[in-house]
Amino acid sequence: MVAAQSTFLTTLLGSAPQRSTGMAWLDRVRAAALERANAAAVPSAREEEWRFTDLAPLARLSFQPRAQAAAPSTQAVAARLLPQAYARLVFVDGVFAEALSSLPSSAGVRVMALEQALRDEPALLEAQLARLGAYEHNVFTALNTAFLREAAVVVVDPGHAVSGPIHVLHLASGSAEPYAIYPRTLLVAGARSRCTLIEDFVALGEGAYFSAPLAEVSIAPDAAVSHIRLQREAASAFQIAAAFVEQARGSTYRLVHVALGARLSRLEVSVVHGATACETAIDGLAMIGARQLADTHTSVDHAHPEGRLRQTHRCVAGGAAHAVFNGKILVRDGAQRTDAAQSFRGLLLSERAQIDAKPQLEIFADDVKCAHGAAIGQLDAQALFYLRSRGLGEQQARNLLTYAFAAEVIERIAVPAVRSALARVVLERTREAA
Amino acid sequence: MSAVIQDLVNRPYEAGFVTPIEADVAPRGLSEETIRLISAKKREPDWLLEFRLQAYRHWLTMSEPKWPNVHYPPIDFQDIIYYAAPKPKKLKSMDEVDPELMRTFEKLGVPMNERAALAGVAVDVIFDSVSVATTYKQKLAEVGIIFCSISEAVASHPELVRKYLGSVVPPADNYYAALNSAVFTDGSFCFIPKGVKCPMDLSTYFRINTQDSGQFERTLIVAEEGAAVSYLEGCTAPKFDTNQLHAAVVELVALDHADIKYSTVQNWYAGDENGVGGIFNFVTKRGLCKGASSKISWTQVETGSAITWKYPSCVLLGDNSIGEFYSVALTNHRQQADTGTKMIHLGNNTRSRIISKGISAGHSNNSYRGLVKIGAKADNARNYSQCDSMLIGSRCGANTFPYIQVRNRSAQVEHEATTSKIGEDQLFYFASRGVGAEEAVSMIINGFCKDVFQQLPMEFAVEATKLLGLKLEGSVG
Repeated sequence: MVAAQSTFLTTLLGSAPQRSTGMAWLDRVRAAALERANAAAVPSAREEEWRFTDLAPLARLSFQPRAQAAAPSTQAVAARLLPQAYARLVFVDGVFAEALSSLPSSAGVRVMALEQALRDEPALLEAQLARLGAYEHNVFTALNTAFLREAAVVVVDPGHAVSGPIHVLHLASGSAEPYAIYPRTLLVAGARSRCTLIEDFVALGEGAYFSAPLAEVSIAPDAAVSHIRLQREAASAFQIAAAFVEQARGSTYRLVHVALGARLSRLEVSVVHGATACETAIDGLAMIGARQLADTHTSVDHAHPEGRLRQTHRCVAGGAAHAVFNGKILVRDGAQRTDAAQSFRGLLLSERAQIDAKPQLEIFADDVKCAHGAAIGQLDAQALFYLRSRGLGEQQARNLLTYAFAAEVIERIAVPAVRSALARVVLERTREAA
Repeated sequence: MSAVIQDLVNRPYEAGFVTPIEADVAPRGLSEETIRLISAKKREPDWLLEFRLQAYRHWLTMSEPKWPNVHYPPIDFQDIIYYAAPKPKKLKSMDEVDPELMRTFEKLGVPMNERAALAGVAVDVIFDSVSVATTYKQKLAEVGIIFCSISEAVASHPELVRKYLGSVVPPADNYYAALNSAVFTDGSFCFIPKGVKCPMDLSTYFRINTQDSGQFERTLIVAEEGAAVSYLEGCTAPKFDTNQLHAAVVELVALDHADIKYSTVQNWYAGDENGVGGIFNFVTKRGLCKGASSKISWTQVETGSAITWKYPSCVLLGDNSIGEFYSVALTNHRQQADTGTKMIHLGNNTRSRIISKGISAGHSNNSYRGLVKIGAKADNARNYSQCDSMLIGSRCGANTFPYIQVRNRSAQVEHEATTSKIGEDQLFYFASRGVGAEEAVSMIINGFCKDVFQQLPMEFAVEATKLLGLKLEGSVG
C-alpha cells in the first residue's frame, strides 16, 4: 500500500467527525473501519484485483460528505417508483427519505431504515450488521462502514414469503459540488422464507458524485432470495460497490445485476456457500458506451458439497468504453459434487471499445463438474445476413441482434414491471450506441 | 488403493543416479566476477560480456515474481554454482564420447547413437551446460542449416547470434530471464536459411548432472523466409535432495512464411512424495512470428519438476501469422505447476489456438495461466482456447486463470474450460470389458490428452504416452 494518500482519500477521511450512533458496538465497528480506511490507499492497477480498472480518474477528484439532503420533486421521484412493490425505502443522496418511502407493517417481514432498526431490533442488528460486509476487504468497504449512518434493513421471518418485491431506491440528486455517499443494505432472510430485493441506483440529475454501496445478504436454511441490482448512476458519477452473500443449507440465491450508468463502476459480488446443497444463480449485464468503464468481479466460494452455480455475464461496449469481467469459482477441498457453470460473452460495438475478461476456476475437489466459457467478438455475420434477407436494414438488424444479446440477462428478471422497463432502456441504448 | 497400485504410485524415479564426471566447477555465488569468469572460460567476445553484465545489473534491481500460484522456500542465488563444464575434450565421433556419459544414456534407456541413427535425429547433447557431442552436423551443413551449441555459434557466427539474441526475450524481460541472460552457460543455436525445410527433426537432450549446478540454458532458433524446422527438447534428471534451479530461455524467430515447431517432453526430477528435492523449472519461452504468414507451434508435455513456471508464448507480429500451444501438464505428489501461454496478436488476420490439458493427482497443484491479447490494430484476429483439467484424488488442486484482453472489435476470441475426473463408473465399465484398472486409467488419460499427443513427433508421442502411464497408473482406485 502506498503511504502517501491521494487527495481523494484525505478529503473523504478529513470530513467532519462522526457523531456517535448511540450504540457502543456500532461505534466500535465504525472506528475500526475508519482506522482501516486511514491506513489504506486507493488500489492501483499494479494490484492483481485492479489491474484492468484504473482508478486514477477517481483518485484525482475530491468529494465532500453530503451536507444536507436534497428534496427532489415528487414528480421526478414518481416516475422511478415501482407500484408492484410490497415496500419501498427511498434514500436521497444517501439520506433516508421517509416521506417518499412506504413501509407497511405486517407480520413476517420488517422493512426499516437503520435508525428504526437499531431501536426495534438492537440484538439482531448487533449480530448481523457488518458481520458479512468485511470492512477489511478494501478501502471502499472500509469507508462504507466507517461512515455508516444510514441503511436499508430487511428482516424476513422464518417460513414467510413476502408478497411483493422490496424496493430500495437510491436517488442521486446531482449537484455542482462533488459529494460522497455510502449506501448500505442488510437483508436477513429466515429459514424457508421467500423474498425479492431490488436495489435501484438512479440519478435524477447530472453531476459528479462518488458512491460506495455495500450490501449484506444472509440467507438461512432452505430460504430463497431473489436479488435485483440496477445501476443507473449519472454519467459523471463513480460507483464502487460490494455485495457479500452467505448461504445456509439448501438455500437459493438469485442475482440479476445490470450496469448501465456511471463514468466508472465496479461491483464485487462475493457468495459463500456456508453449508451443503446451496444453489446460486448470477446473471449480469453491463451495457456501456462513451468513456464508461464497468467492472464486474464475482466470486463464488463452494465450501461445502453439492453446491450449484449457474452464471452468465454479458458485456456490450460501444464508444471508447471499457468492460471488465472477473468471475472466480472456488471449489474447496471436500466440496464434492459441486456443479458450476459460467458463461461470459462480450460484444464490441466500436473500434475504440475494449473488454478484459478473466474467468477463473480454482478447484480442490475431484468429484465436481465445473465449466466456463468466454467469448468476445462482434455480431454473428450469418445472423445479420439472415435478418437482412428478411428485409431488415443493416442498422435495424444490428440493433435487433444487440438487443437480443442483452435481453438474455434482462429476461432473467423475475419482476415483470422491472423487466419491461429495463428492456425499453436497453432498446434505447442499442439505438444510441448505433 | 490396492497394494499393486500403491506400489506403482510410489515407484521411485527410474532415472535417479549420479554419474561421477570430473567437472570444471566455478565457485558458488553470483557476482560480476562470476560472470566475467563464465565469459572468459567460454572465450566470449566483449559484446556478449557486456550483454551479460547489463542483464546482471538489471537483475539486481528486480524482485522475484510472487504472482504465480506456487510456493517454495526462498532461493539463495549466492549458493548456486553458475558454471560447471565437463573436462574439455575434442570429439570427432560418437565413439569418443566419455564412456561414463554413454553409460548414463544407456541407463536412461536412450542409447544416443542408436536413437539418433534410427530416428534420424541429430542430437546436440547438453551435459551440464556445455555441448560435448554434436551429430549430423555434416548433413545439416549441406543444406546450409547451422545447428550447434550457442557457444560455438558465438565463435563461428557472431553476427547472427548478436542480431537475434535477446530480440524476443529482452535481457530485462523478467527476473529469471535476466538471470539467465547474465549467466547462461550454453544451449542450442539453430539457423534455418531462406527456403530450407529442415530434413530431420532436431533434438537436444538435456541432463542435469553436477549436484547444485544451476542450469541456465539458452536456446535460439531462427527460421528465415520460407524455412521450416521441427525441434525436440527432452529432459530427465538424476535424483538429488537439494533443489536445483533451472532457468532457461528459449527464443524463436520466424520470418515470412517460416514454420517452427517446438516440442518438449519435460521429466526433471520432481522430488519425493513429500515434496523434498526436485527441480525448480522457471523457464521463459517465447516465439516471435516476425514475418507475414509465419507459424510457431509449441507442444509440451510437462510431467516433472517440483515447480514448473513456464509460459511458452507467441507474439504474432506478422500479418496472417499463426501461433499454437498444445500442452499436457501432469502433477503428482507435491508437485506444483503454473503453466500456460501468451498469445499476443499484433498483426492483421492472426490466428492462435490453445489446447491445454492439466492432470493433477496426489497433493499436487496444477494451474493454467494464459493470456490472449488482441491489439487495437490487429484486425480479424481469431483465438480459440480450450483448457481442460482432470483431478485424480481429492487432495489436489486444478486452477485456471485465463486472461482475455480485446482491443479490437473485429476479433473473435473463444475460451472454454472444463473439469473432469476418472470416475468409478468409467473404471467399472472398463472392468466389465475385461480391462484392468491400470490399463483403463492409461487409456482414459491418453484419450484426455489425445489432442496434444497427436501434435508430437512420433517418437516423442510414444515416450510421452509411456511417461504419463508410468507417472499416473495406480493413482486411482
